[in-house]
Amino acid sequence: MNELIRSPLFAIVLTLLAYQGALFLYTRSGRVAMLHPTISGAVLIALALVLLQQDYQDYYQKINWLTFLLGPATVALAVPLYRQLHLLRNMAGPLLITVCTGAVFASTSALIIAWLFGANRDTLLSLTTKSITTPIAITVTQDLGGITTIAVASVILTGVVGITTITWLFNKLDIQDDRLWGFCLGLAAHAIGTSRAFERSPVAGAFSSLALCLTGAFTAIVVPFAARWFL
Amino acid sequence: MLAGFLTLIGCQLLGEFIQRALGLPLPGPVIGMLLLFIGLCIRGDVPKDLETGSQRLIELLPMLLMAPAAGVFFLGAGFADQWPAFIAAVTLGTISTMIFCGLLLRFLHGRNNRA
Repeated sequence: MNELIRSPLFAIVLTLLAYQGALFLYTRSGRVAMLHPTISGAVLIALALVLLQQDYQDYYQKINWLTFLLGPATVALAVPLYRQLHLLRNMAGPLLITVCTGAVFASTSALIIAWLFGANRDTLLSLTTKSITTPIAITVTQDLGGITTIAVASVILTGVVGITTITWLFNKLDIQDDRLWGFCLGLAAHAIGTSRAFERSPVAGAFSSLALCLTGAFTAIVVPFAARWFL
Repeated sequence: MLAGFLTLIGCQLLGEFIQRALGLPLPGPVIGMLLLFIGLCIRGDVPKDLETGSQRLIELLPMLLMAPAAGVFFLGAGFADQWPAFIAAVTLGTISTMIFCGLLLRFLHGRNNRA
């Protein structure tokens, strides 16, 4: 019995089941941001692992072929991006300026707040990549000497904060343009934000993918140099 | 759909290859995405297989991110004293980033339209 629970088959069934459950909760609740499948699914998985007394690292190893799909899924973002090319063209200037300043703002705001709250050096290093998508964040953080798990956690939590607050925040600011909505969400909250933006509209999704790529590229190039100077 | 999937992982492989060959700081999948994007621009349209294949994968993104997200609950005791700073930095930082970008982009976009 116990070896069945520890088998990859069980891990994958658990993952798919958690996803279905999360999806059900999310649609039933009328798409409450806090119940987004990424969040509620993660909670369900964590609960199941604790209840069954399974090790998280073990579980993660067993479903790594599933997380492997994040690679081709990232490549796939080129398709909606290409489809919305005509929309992007006449906004290129503002978008590029926003990416460069916004990416710097995302890293420095997190660093300053964490420093004020007394974070140690490892935590600071691991926070610099919070606004970029997981695969890029992992590569950059390893290069800097930060802690990968914390970097991943900060990336994920950033995405969660992004999708739970954006609707309320942008209603307050009175920004309803799908292009602006998607772009800011993709810039601040990477892939989790992008999957949420696709729910709003294909246009929001495309702008979010674009922001995700540009922010990722910009941060991956700038952060390693900046970190060597300041830290 | 399988042919579309092949195009995607083919681009990723090529991206990984370029990353290693040139020692770029960008990860392979991101280079792969740029390659596919350039390829689509040259070709001028999206093949049916690629369209369905990529759509399926993008729909699965929330599920693919779910397992890494669960790791937040298993960071361990060594991190305990870092939580307040960590949570504050992530929440306040993210919210202020979205406000900053939203206002900046609206300002730049509005100015562009008037000009």
